[in-house]
Amino acid sequence: MHGRPRKAPKPEDEAASAAKAQKLRALQTQFFSYHHNKIYTKEAVELSAKLLEINPESYTAWNYRKLAVEHHLSQPECDPDSAKSILDDELRVVESALRQNFKSYGAWHHRKWVISKGHSSIDNELRLLDKFQKADSRNFHAWNYRRFVAESMNRSEQDELKYTEDMIYTNFSNYSAWHNRSVLLSTLLEKKAEGFLSKEKVLPEEYEFIHQAIFTDPDDQSGWFYHLWLLDQTVKADSPLLISSWPAHGSDVQLVDRCHNDSAFSPFTTLHSDSGSFPVVLYFNQPVEGVSSSTVTVESEFNKSEDLVWNPLSVSNSQAAKVWVTHLKFPTSELHCPVEVSVGHSKGITSTRGFQYSFSSVFSFKVHVQPTKKDSSQGSVAESILWREENFKAYGTQSEESIPILSFDQLSIRNDPEPTVSDWRVEALSKEIECFRELLSLMDCKIGKLTLARLLMAYDSMSLSCTNKLDHSDEVLELYSDLMKLDPSHHQCYKDGHSLVLLKQVTSSRESLLKYCSKYTDSVPLTICSPICLRLNNLSLSRVGAFEKLLWVQMLDLSHNELQSIEGLEALQLLSSLSLRNNKLRSFTALDPLRKLKSLRVLDISYNHIGEHSIDTTRYLCASPLSHLVGSEWNKDETVIGDVALINYWDAFLIFKELNLKQLDIMGSAIADEKFKSVLVKIMPTLKQLDGERLG
Amino acid sequence: MESFLSLTVTQRDQILVEQQVFNMYKAFYDMPPSSQSFMLELQRENHLEYLTKGLRQLGPSFCVLDANRPWMCYWILHSIALMDEFVDPELEDNTIDFLSRCQDPNGGYGGGPGQMPHLATTYAAVNSLVTLGGDKAFSSINREKQYMFLLRMKDPSGGFRMHEAGEIDVRACYTAISVASLLNILDDDLVQNVGNYILSCQTYEGGIAGEPGSEAHGGYTFCGLATMILINEVDRLDLSSLIDWVVFRQGVEGGFQGRTNKLVDGCYSFWQGGVFALLKRLHSTKGEQPIPLGDGEDSGAESSQSTASLDAAGEKGLDEDLSQGGSHSEQGDQDDASCRVNIDNIDHSSGTRHAKVEPLFNSLALQQYILLCSQELNGGLRDKPSKSRDHYHTCYCLSGLSVCQRSWSEDEDSPPLPRSVLGPYSNLLEPIHPLYNLVLDRYQEAHEFFTRSKDPVL
Repeated sequence: MHGRPRKAPKPEDEAASAAKAQKLRALQTQFFSYHHNKIYTKEAVELSAKLLEINPESYTAWNYRKLAVEHHLSQPECDPDSAKSILDDELRVVESALRQNFKSYGAWHHRKWVISKGHSSIDNELRLLDKFQKADSRNFHAWNYRRFVAESMNRSEQDELKYTEDMIYTNFSNYSAWHNRSVLLSTLLEKKAEGFLSKEKVLPEEYEFIHQAIFTDPDDQSGWFYHLWLLDQTVKADSPLLISSWPAHGSDVQLVDRCHNDSAFSPFTTLHSDSGSFPVVLYFNQPVEGVSSSTVTVESEFNKSEDLVWNPLSVSNSQAAKVWVTHLKFPTSELHCPVEVSVGHSKGITSTRGFQYSFSSVFSFKVHVQPTKKDSSQGSVAESILWREENFKAYGTQSEESIPILSFDQLSIRNDPEPTVSDWRVEALSKEIECFRELLSLMDCKIGKLTLARLLMAYDSMSLSCTNKLDHSDEVLELYSDLMKLDPSHHQCYKDGHSLVLLKQVTSSRESLLKYCSKYTDSVPLTICSPICLRLNNLSLSRVGAFEKLLWVQMLDLSHNELQSIEGLEALQLLSSLSLRNNKLRSFTALDPLRKLKSLRVLDISYNHIGEHSIDTTRYLCASPLSHLVGSEWNKDETVIGDVALINYWDAFLIFKELNLKQLDIMGSAIADEKFKSVLVKIMPTLKQLDGERLG
Repeated sequence: MESFLSLTVTQRDQILVEQQVFNMYKAFYDMPPSSQSFMLELQRENHLEYLTKGLRQLGPSFCVLDANRPWMCYWILHSIALMDEFVDPELEDNTIDFLSRCQDPNGGYGGGPGQMPHLATTYAAVNSLVTLGGDKAFSSINREKQYMFLLRMKDPSGGFRMHEAGEIDVRACYTAISVASLLNILDDDLVQNVGNYILSCQTYEGGIAGEPGSEAHGGYTFCGLATMILINEVDRLDLSSLIDWVVFRQGVEGGFQGRTNKLVDGCYSFWQGGVFALLKRLHSTKGEQPIPLGDGEDSGAESSQSTASLDAAGEKGLDEDLSQGGSHSEQGDQDDASCRVNIDNIDHSSGTRHAKVEPLFNSLALQQYILLCSQELNGGLRDKPSKSRDHYHTCYCLSGLSVCQRSWSEDEDSPPLPRSVLGPYSNLLEPIHPLYNLVLDRYQEAHEFFTRSKDPVL
């Protein structure tokens, strides 16, 4: 209807094309007959070459030629000279096919196959590659082939590095060349090749090199991506490190079975336990595997190290995790006993990239058990926690002596021997910071700001151990705020960054952390021992982090933020009360980390967005009753509760059936109707209170 | 010392493409509204004619595609299905017969009759048959032999080979796993170590490369991500860096590039756009949504339009212009009213409300690129204005368009709001299942059929 008249092809073109098609069809019929009858005569092999010249994608013909080559090479009269000439023929056929289509998978693959037979000269291959890579410098087949040739013909990485340099000087926007440079440098550094013994020498030179590209044109993408790689190389610690633990080194942990107010110990390290055990948590700087009773020894009077089972705290079923936990059993009689934990004395803890844990660490703490006398009278005992403002008293206003100094100063563990932070890294970073400040003084550049923010955070965390202070967090927060305004389409990205920096700042020192601690002044339920609440409410957080500094937290208020996920919260093994009121959580699956919190008793998830968005489970393989990830946990007998089909609430079921909650608030969410509440009560027999109502 | 040229060849080419595209946009915005709405219209009839002709008979210039004939079937049939059209029964029969002749007696489909079986053409053939639908098409697939073929292509490393003695790459993994999943023959033997192979291909950029050591690439990123989802190991990927990478592949033209610093190409509307469709589903099921959602909680499509602006600086005009774009904006206004009614009638517990999801990419800008730059008015779609149409680009531009139109909807069953469809609402295409790139109801029919089928391995 709206079409324009089409140009009719000229009759003579049509005729020529038809003739060509006719010829191809004839060739093909002949070829298949040779192929199926395993005929490898000179004439037959030549015919396949003709076919490939017209259509290099004809993979059947490539395979036929492989069979033909094998056939001829296996003949008794085949000597090295004739073998070479057979293989050279193949290379010629590939070359002319590639001229027809240098993106042909089949042709490149055939060439690899021929080269792997030996007999060919690397110079020829490099010449061919030069020709193709000049014509199309981004052809990934050619780059893959180049890496293959260099590796199989033992061309030095240094020579290849020089080649990427030449390519970059010809066209610094050629990201393929930058990429290959990163691959080559990784290999050279790993091999500790001559001239590449340390990153200390190599990386600063690379920074110089990339500055040329970035400063020539800050809008070009290639340079920034390479810069990102360099930054990663500069800051990433290869071997995993233990960065914090609970109990903290040097702390006194008091374990009680009921709470009393006259304790001589700090409320920060008093823990209720009626199960006769308490958790020991190890927090590493990256996910590790292999934490077990043979790689971690725990020495105490009351536990045998080899009986301990270490579990990875990760929501996916992976065997690698940043956080590991075990539970120590303790006797019911009075006890004052030191515990020593040594990590990594024998090999076996490795990062997911295969690096060994190489710094053995020791930390120790004391455990005090004081069984309560049966007749000791309690003050008023409450049934529930009320997250009301008037129930919290800022901790900073308390008298000096009640501030627990020990447990905070020892939050981070001393590793022995302590890994030294290399000066060159700090130096390289400060040079980069200077450089990008200069760039930003000349022009407004989003990616420049983002890079500066990343550099500053990397600098701070690297120099942290010396100064114990975040020097630039205010500047970084400002950069992220700027970026949110400058680039609203990636607002959420920057907001996440902002949230994490803010939390780093909050947890950077005892003083700042104490500002966010409050004392819960109302009477507490028996099972909640520490009245200290960390209140990170109203900070417009979109993400939570800095968990390594928060392992001691038992009561946490994250209400009135903008959280959509609580990823990582599973690290807080002591958590017994949690408020997530007034956030942006969209479904129960977002609460997945809670499944790992066995001591959680009080939870407030009211006024979130749960139930507003439909979740598609039927057509998609996700963690649902239909996928094998959770299949084993889903008991088919449990599909109906009362008259309600559980399948409608499978996501809630999977979370709540693993929790031992006593108090839950869920009002103000789309899903929280009476029917759903009745299901919750059945799923959680332990529940005493739901939305402020006592359950019978 | 050597120094960098201030304008590289890459940059020059990029500038040329930008100029060409912006000239088209400028011409478009200078047009009277009636011509604008014509320009934004999907030329269904012409596309259909171009496609049907391709299925009946191809010109001799298609010789080079001779080893890819099932692909031709899939590109054409899928494009037709996206427009909710059908081929006539005779052609359907012929296609099924033709594909049966491509099926190897020992399993798998070759690029044509007599050719050896190949994973990519197997994927294309199976997807074609699913798209055709019906018991005849479904039961023409020898599932038992298919399974044996897939197993033969499995490399001890975990990856798959494209064909006997062929190359191992991410494409091969995706096509094998996708086919196995569709035909309900996916088992632990096929899955074993595939995840490790895909993981070894994720680069520091965040995207996924075709093979270890190579650079991140749009097509492979789709294939790798879809594979990981299908085998239920998607958590092993570094998803946040993958998202970082893919959001930066949308350029000032509105379309996507395939790799860092490459030119825009219409086919990545699906390969990159499909990654967003996968991520969206992933996050809606995991309850996270990593990026956007401005600040206004009640941001309807209107504010989404203004927050989802183009990534690159200096292109402010575009989204403003878009929201004023002729007929589109009129329909948007009408919709506003119906939308309000809808919100007033929310039944919270049943979740029938129009779900609000913010796409992680600029969906309207991509639709604009597809309709104005990739579409040939007399049928067929293309890479970019300087290129000519072909069936491959027609298929993947249309697939990308379908993904865009539903980028705000969380539920494929309810039609999207008119304002999320650029141009007249009649542009709306059928929803796809992003894991397989099949039209959703065709997938469902096949899914039911193969779920009923007996386990062939027993």
